[in-house]
Amino acid sequence: MVTLKDVLNSGLLQKPSDEPQALQRSESNYTPLRSFNLGKDLQYQQQFADTYFLRLTKIKPSLEEVANSAWEGIVIGDETAKKVERVLDVRQGELCWVVGTVYMDMPAKPNILEDVSKDRWISAPSTVQKYYSDDGLDSVMLEDESGRIRLVGNVLKKFFLVTGCIIAAMGTENANGEFDVIDLKFADLPPQPERWELSKLSQKGARSVKKESKIKDEDVEMKDSSPSTKGKKIAIASGLEFSGPDTSYAMELNLLLEFLLGDILDPAAQGEIAQISRLIIAGNSIASEVKAVEEATEKKSHKKYGYDSTAYNAQPSKLFDDFISELLPTIPITLLPGVLDPANASYPQQPIHPAMFPRARAYTSIPGAAGPGWLDTVTNPWEGEVEGWRILGTSGQNLDDIFKYVDSDDRLGMMEATCRWRCSAPTAPDTLCKLPGAYPFQDDEPFVMKECPHLYFIGCQPEFGTTVITGPDGQVVRLVLIPSFSATREVVLVDMETLDISTVKFTA
Amino acid sequence: MDVRAAYKNFLAQSVLLDSKVVTFREVSRALHVHNNTAKQMLYDFHKSENEKRPGAVFVTYVVFGTKKKPIEHRNGADEDVEMTSSMPDSSPDAAVTRAFSLDLIPEELLEDALEEYEEVRSIHVYSAAPHPAKDMALLADTAQEAHSNRNGEDDIDGDQAYVITNPSVRRRERKGTAPNVATPPAGTKAAKKEIKSAFSKPAPAPSKLKDEVKASPPAPEAEKASSSAPAKKPTPALKRGGSANSGIMQAFSKAATMAKKEKPASQPATPSGDDSSVQPMSDDGEDDCEMPQPKAWAGAEGGTGRKSKREREEELRRMMEEEDEDEGEEKAPSPEPEEEPQAPPSVKEEPAEIVTTSTDGRRRGKRKIMRKKQIMDDQGYLVTIQEPGWESFSEDEPAPPPKKTASSAPQAPAAKGKKSGPKGNQGSIMSFFSKK
Repeated sequence: MVTLKDVLNSGLLQKPSDEPQALQRSESNYTPLRSFNLGKDLQYQQQFADTYFLRLTKIKPSLEEVANSAWEGIVIGDETAKKVERVLDVRQGELCWVVGTVYMDMPAKPNILEDVSKDRWISAPSTVQKYYSDDGLDSVMLEDESGRIRLVGNVLKKFFLVTGCIIAAMGTENANGEFDVIDLKFADLPPQPERWELSKLSQKGARSVKKESKIKDEDVEMKDSSPSTKGKKIAIASGLEFSGPDTSYAMELNLLLEFLLGDILDPAAQGEIAQISRLIIAGNSIASEVKAVEEATEKKSHKKYGYDSTAYNAQPSKLFDDFISELLPTIPITLLPGVLDPANASYPQQPIHPAMFPRARAYTSIPGAAGPGWLDTVTNPWEGEVEGWRILGTSGQNLDDIFKYVDSDDRLGMMEATCRWRCSAPTAPDTLCKLPGAYPFQDDEPFVMKECPHLYFIGCQPEFGTTVITGPDGQVVRLVLIPSFSATREVVLVDMETLDISTVKFTA
Repeated sequence: MDVRAAYKNFLAQSVLLDSKVVTFREVSRALHVHNNTAKQMLYDFHKSENEKRPGAVFVTYVVFGTKKKPIEHRNGADEDVEMTSSMPDSSPDAAVTRAFSLDLIPEELLEDALEEYEEVRSIHVYSAAPHPAKDMALLADTAQEAHSNRNGEDDIDGDQAYVITNPSVRRRERKGTAPNVATPPAGTKAAKKEIKSAFSKPAPAPSKLKDEVKASPPAPEAEKASSSAPAKKPTPALKRGGSANSGIMQAFSKAATMAKKEKPASQPATPSGDDSSVQPMSDDGEDDCEMPQPKAWAGAEGGTGRKSKREREEELRRMMEEEDEDEGEEKAPSPEPEEEPQAPPSVKEEPAEIVTTSTDGRRRGKRKIMRKKQIMDDQGYLVTIQEPGWESFSEDEPAPPPKKTASSAPQAPAAKGKKSGPKGNQGSIMSFFSKK
């Protein structure tokens, strides 16, 4: 408890004194990865099946290892569990284990085949809150390129299962042709890179070109020993949802701006703020304009090519542009697109085009430049190395979609499950961002986690949450759910030395 | 120092006389002092004024710190309570998770609010007003103003305004554009001098300057009027041309030309923060995200670019004039077929029409058409044949003759007015702007 007396005449509650000294923002050591960037010459002719196939072949070896060590020679009821290569090789009554992709058959789930058969070529995006239903019609299937088998058993209820995750299941096929599951295994956390791994790699590579590009690449300037990150922080905000008509939290946004700028608070606190070396905006920076669209349709205004240009409201993106261009002179920003942002809807979302920000675009990198821009518009999901830590972040769609599959509100648990599955967006081609869907990958399946991040954040969540999970090989991952600022008025600060989390809540 | 003395005058002027809400940022910008000094000025002003006359000045405080676990005041009137109450269970390892709060609190509520705090890291005055702060949204407007005031300044060089500077900031060099500085015209320079002397501080006060510009904005208004005049016509293309620097639109409408001519004159006076709203994107080939001033753009491109552009325009204009003449010739016969829907019999398979009744514009009758018929011939093949037939029609059917005319005489729809104009055959765009 604090009383008025305690704070009176403290710090800034006194007569004007001498000019305070200037503060300098900590430098940000930042190496983004381009794992989710799609090339320019995109084809949409191919089928999604390849994506599933790639995912299975990528995860299968490590999953088989895990399953082998767990189930090798296990005897249940006089029978030894055998490994079966394909789903179709499962024989009735034989105890065996098999690796495959989960497919959830749910009546409430949008189904493309149904849309096609009913001739609904442009179906509205699904508004269902949950695909899960209690009526027992949902069923879990395990499939690979050979075939599909229905999974039954109480074990299934112990785990989060969604379409697209890769599991190993042990059990027997029963008289109904269903696979009675006794145990399940996931691939578990992938190997975790060392801290500063990327920077060290680029250092080696960059040393040869050191003389030419001395100023441009910040990695080059780094000493051989890892730079000190003591007290350094990054701020992660999401769901700022700048809006033209809705000004109910304009003051909070303003406080956030002044906080990040270091305008507000006293010299001691400003010193701490100066340690925030980077701001990451995880999606939904611009609010949706649902109401405005409704009004426009009433007016029956002049439309061209089905688009009513007068209904466009530039105000939200202008406000956001003002916001970031105000911040940029003092803090670098990484910007992920979200479901409401002006980027493509399919997953992975590609960077928001800098042309959206007439003022802030001066800070973006020149197209084709090697280094990241001061304002780095990146993909969603996004992977990178900040202060040596490998960071994976998304704007929330992947988790929101998993959320619809399961009968639970445990978002942190689901987040952990994505790490255990080694797949950050398992539902991606099936239900995630239905229409136009995820990109049909042919050569690579980027949603497979090849390397375990140190920090994994998911933006645009209803509330804050964090936990630490550990893997079998000593991997430690800090999971953070970033709340939507528009809902909770909170931003998250991550200590870059300890990966400790603190939140700042703004109230006006 | 004279600034120190000046701040009381400044605050007395804005808070007491003008009844404005003044935030520390405004003080800092206006007097060009450090933010923290501005906070202390506000505090001192509040204290000294209320000593003279209690209740003269009301302030809001910013409190930053950690709050006690908010479970016990679940019934508080604050909207955030339901949210905060769910906080502890959503953060299992609260030991490493610290929840800071940054609150904006009116002075009359400060004592109560402080009780909720476990630790106060920082507290200072945020704003001062002549009345108790009721609606924080009002404050948001004031704060917004402070931001937009800064918008015009060069964001890096003006780092005097920033508490925390970042030495490693980098911007991209952009071809042909000056940094985002609004170079004030000669008129406003005088104003600048005035302000300088008023506060007798060597540093310029661009924020204040912007205020002046805003207070007397005849130029932007004029500009608005000029660009809205052509916009009255329901054509988005024209609207765009009115403000964008696309040369081709000049040839089309005089209004647009006028708007463009006026633009360079009025532009520098406009606060550059408004640029993006004034300047919609045009999708011609030019990079409109560069600086909006057409003059600066052309100048930077160099003499050759400008010349070629002018030549292009000239060429376009000549072309347009030629088309104009063509149109003039064709315009004369066009009203005639419009009055009588019977089309000129130029098209080869123009159906014969028998109008049985034609009272006050209503037409009913039969006309000859070619029908497609699919029959099976004696060998069992399906054959499509065309055979002439008669079809009755009445007024509510889409009258085919105008459509047919469109193909024979492209100017007809233009004369018909805007309704059928854009839909019909693509004629000269000039027809759009012709007198109706």
